[in-house]
Amino acid sequence: MHKEYGDSKALDGASLEIRAGDAVAVMGPSGCGKSTLLNMVAGLDRPTSGTVEVNGQDLGQLNETGLALFRRKHIGMIFQFFNLIDDLPALDNVALAAQLTGTSARQARRRALELLDELGVADRKDNYPAALSGGQRQRVAVARALMNRPALLLADEPTGALDSRSGEQVMDLLIDLNQMGQTLLIVTHDPNLATRCANRLIEFADGKVARESTLEATA
Amino acid sequence: MSAVWQASRAAVKRRRVQTIVIGLVVLCSTMTTVLALAVLTAASSPFDAAFARQRGAHVVATFDAAKTSEAQLTQTVQRPGVQAAAGPFGQAVIEIPQPWLWMAAGPLQVVGRADPAGPVDRVDLLAGRWATAPGEIVVNSPVGGASSRLLGSKLDVPGGPPLTVVGFATSMSKSAGAWVSPEQMTALHPTSFQMLYRFASAATSGQLQSELEAATAGQPADSLTHAQTYLSLKQAFSASADSYLPFMTMFGVLGVLVSVLIVGNVVSGAVVSGYRHIGVLKALGFTPNQVVAVYLGMISVPAVVGSVVGTLAGAVLEQPILKAAFAGVETGTATIGTTPWVAVACLLAMPTIVAIAALIPALRAHRLSAAEAISAGSAPKAGRGLLAQRKLGGTRLPRSVSLGLGQSFARPARAMLTMSAVILGVATVTLTTGLASTMVAAGNAGQHSGITQVLVEADGKTSGQSAAQLSDSQIEARLRALPGADRVTARAFTKVLLAGSTDTVFLNLYRGEPPAAAEQIVHGRWPSGPGEVAAGPGFLAQHGLAVGDRTVVYLSGKQLSVTVVGEEMLGNNQAMEADWATAAELVPDASAVEYAVQLAPHADGQAYVKGVEGVDPGLHSSLRIQSQNTASTVVISFSAVFTVLLAIVSALGVFNSVLLSTRERRRQLGMLKSIGMTPRQVVVMTVTSVAGLGLVGGLIGIPIGMVGHRLLVDHAGVLAFPESMKDVWHAPQLAALLLSGIVIAVLGALIPARSAARLTIATVLHSE
Repeated sequence: MHKEYGDSKALDGASLEIRAGDAVAVMGPSGCGKSTLLNMVAGLDRPTSGTVEVNGQDLGQLNETGLALFRRKHIGMIFQFFNLIDDLPALDNVALAAQLTGTSARQARRRALELLDELGVADRKDNYPAALSGGQRQRVAVARALMNRPALLLADEPTGALDSRSGEQVMDLLIDLNQMGQTLLIVTHDPNLATRCANRLIEFADGKVARESTLEATA
Repeated sequence: MSAVWQASRAAVKRRRVQTIVIGLVVLCSTMTTVLALAVLTAASSPFDAAFARQRGAHVVATFDAAKTSEAQLTQTVQRPGVQAAAGPFGQAVIEIPQPWLWMAAGPLQVVGRADPAGPVDRVDLLAGRWATAPGEIVVNSPVGGASSRLLGSKLDVPGGPPLTVVGFATSMSKSAGAWVSPEQMTALHPTSFQMLYRFASAATSGQLQSELEAATAGQPADSLTHAQTYLSLKQAFSASADSYLPFMTMFGVLGVLVSVLIVGNVVSGAVVSGYRHIGVLKALGFTPNQVVAVYLGMISVPAVVGSVVGTLAGAVLEQPILKAAFAGVETGTATIGTTPWVAVACLLAMPTIVAIAALIPALRAHRLSAAEAISAGSAPKAGRGLLAQRKLGGTRLPRSVSLGLGQSFARPARAMLTMSAVILGVATVTLTTGLASTMVAAGNAGQHSGITQVLVEADGKTSGQSAAQLSDSQIEARLRALPGADRVTARAFTKVLLAGSTDTVFLNLYRGEPPAAAEQIVHGRWPSGPGEVAAGPGFLAQHGLAVGDRTVVYLSGKQLSVTVVGEEMLGNNQAMEADWATAAELVPDASAVEYAVQLAPHADGQAYVKGVEGVDPGLHSSLRIQSQNTASTVVISFSAVFTVLLAIVSALGVFNSVLLSTRERRRQLGMLKSIGMTPRQVVVMTVTSVAGLGLVGGLIGIPIGMVGHRLLVDHAGVLAFPESMKDVWHAPQLAALLLSGIVIAVLGALIPARSAARLTIATVLHSE
């Protein structure tokens, strides 16, 4: 993949294959192109050249609506700053992802409650994001990402805005998810997160893969 | 460059779209205000303005040349009370032997004047030049009635040399039918002299009478043969113009009001949305006053540009619009326009209003600490709004729809800004469409499509021809007998004195089938017996009468008690209507002066007119063209112009509000797209967020518009509408108006919604 923003090259021949069940961590210095890589895989942006294939679908073949529908079914995303909707309580934030697909509010809320329960924040279901701690917000964000049972879970610095204790909890959560078969692609600066949660480490530099290694799961 | 100015410039650059929107709103509002003020100033006294421009004569006095001399009349100029005078001018009546130009054969009053200018009655030349030599004549012409190609036309005067038309002119004082040079007037053997006076006291007919008496005190008895006051001309003018001047005044007031409110709405919204930026500036070290200055500077750029361009655009549109508005008003060549202060006032007032609108929220930001300002509006406060949104999330509505509807509850202040723009727009549309419906109904009253009317004149005064030879009853019988005649209404009139009044009024007497005016009775009924009268609202108001009241009329020593049994919708302000039975009491020898003949459906009007010629050569008939009256046309045109302008301004208000909202929700929109919200769902959500407000705004705006309409039609003054014409609201129309609220909101939201749908997710999600 190549991606250029004007004169600047964000991706310069990056090539990567992730197999189902993998937990892949991408590390590298700021500006090396790792977040751009994540955007390409999520279909949030398009490469200048090259192809992105997820779950057998060439994303380049899809228009904006097609990409949205694809993300809805196959991709779950968690962000450093959670990106929860301030106006909705935790339960509705999670349920939202299913409701967009046409699932009824009752069904969506039932599934959302199950997820919140699994992630240990069911007791905060009626709280608005402003009333949640960072770790709780990220757990709600993870629940939302898992709502439609995505084939691939993408995480962009998922512990970057959390204190160490909350960060540990989120790491444990990701490990558990991967052990249950969830494919993960994590972009991070944190070597601890990468080594604990991933079984493959990809080091990125200057818009391409500089080194790739296999890790032993620590959990 | 100061830090404040630099920050202001940066803010303008960063908010290009918003700056353009503010500029557009100010532009449209300024343009509307310029037009509205133009209408207000022109509508306030169009006759006075035009009359003053020509320095019209307060009194046009005619003196018998056999009883007084030029020298004696010249002395009247020096008499007390005379402010200015022109004359004496020789005056003669010449006969037009056969139809000429647009005039029928008959007498033509000609005045000898050396030039059209002077201290009084500055006659405006419409075409050609003034008559300076013998054999030349300048003809009085209505504005737009004369054409240069008619210059050179000859008039063969019986017993005199032919006169060649060298010009067409018009006089607000209606001082002559034509003008010739003094030398030519001498050749025409003038029988009278004309004096044109302007008096120091000229407000009432009583003042004019006493001033004229003082001026002519030294003149031989009975030398003054006729005096025409400007008040009677003004009254005639008002009869056509007064019917729609209140509406135009209303449009003016409405235009100014809505424009100011929308400007305030848009600008204050822009400042409120910038609280976070204000907080950042404070954190950087800007003092509170500097922050306020930054925001005023940011707003002043589009405000000044919008005001200047709007004033220029308004000034360009002003003349054609006023020309159309006053098309039915005879004003000579005097331009119905506005004074320069309108443009100056708009140039000064609009930026001031914008500054005040910006200052109020900016001063609030002035008081906030940096931290408070940064957090202001960034997160909604928990409350009923969030509860409503949560409830909506549990409904069966598609999630994009329920999310959109919920946004209004989550940010009530922003929702109120949007809704107020919609309310103003819908109220305006409701009011103006209601007025248009009422005026169309009024214009159509008494008109029957496919029915031809012929007006037959019997006394020859209007056409200037000889009077009919047959008797009144014979004429009516013959007209009824002509093929095609269906209904014949004969009309006579006389002047009577009304009890408690010094002025005489006309009393129209009708015989045969009731006239068209009988169908326009608003209250009561058409007079059908002796001593019963009807009149228009203007007449009734002037004389303090109402339906059911009794009064007395006097004529030639006789008096008759009359009862007002009906009020007409519009009616002559100087006339009452009565049945012929009343004539027997007051004027037993009354004879009809005209006959209105309504032909049977599909009858040949031309053939009937030809038939009338055969009845009596003294009868002069003309086909009546049934067309929409001037008042209806003007009000409807103005409704259209102001509805479009104010609806655009309202939609821009909504646009601005949605744009601000979309900006604030960029991250949220990005997140929603990241979890699979399609571009269409984004558009649906954004449009729904204002469509609901549009619906509520419509529900509030419609009654406001309806009340405004009712207040206006109930207090139109010279027009009294029947209930049927006021009741213009029907289910389909109300549904359409309700839809207009949604349309205004959706139109305003569509562009920001599409822009939100195209938002690049990656950029907004990965930055905090």
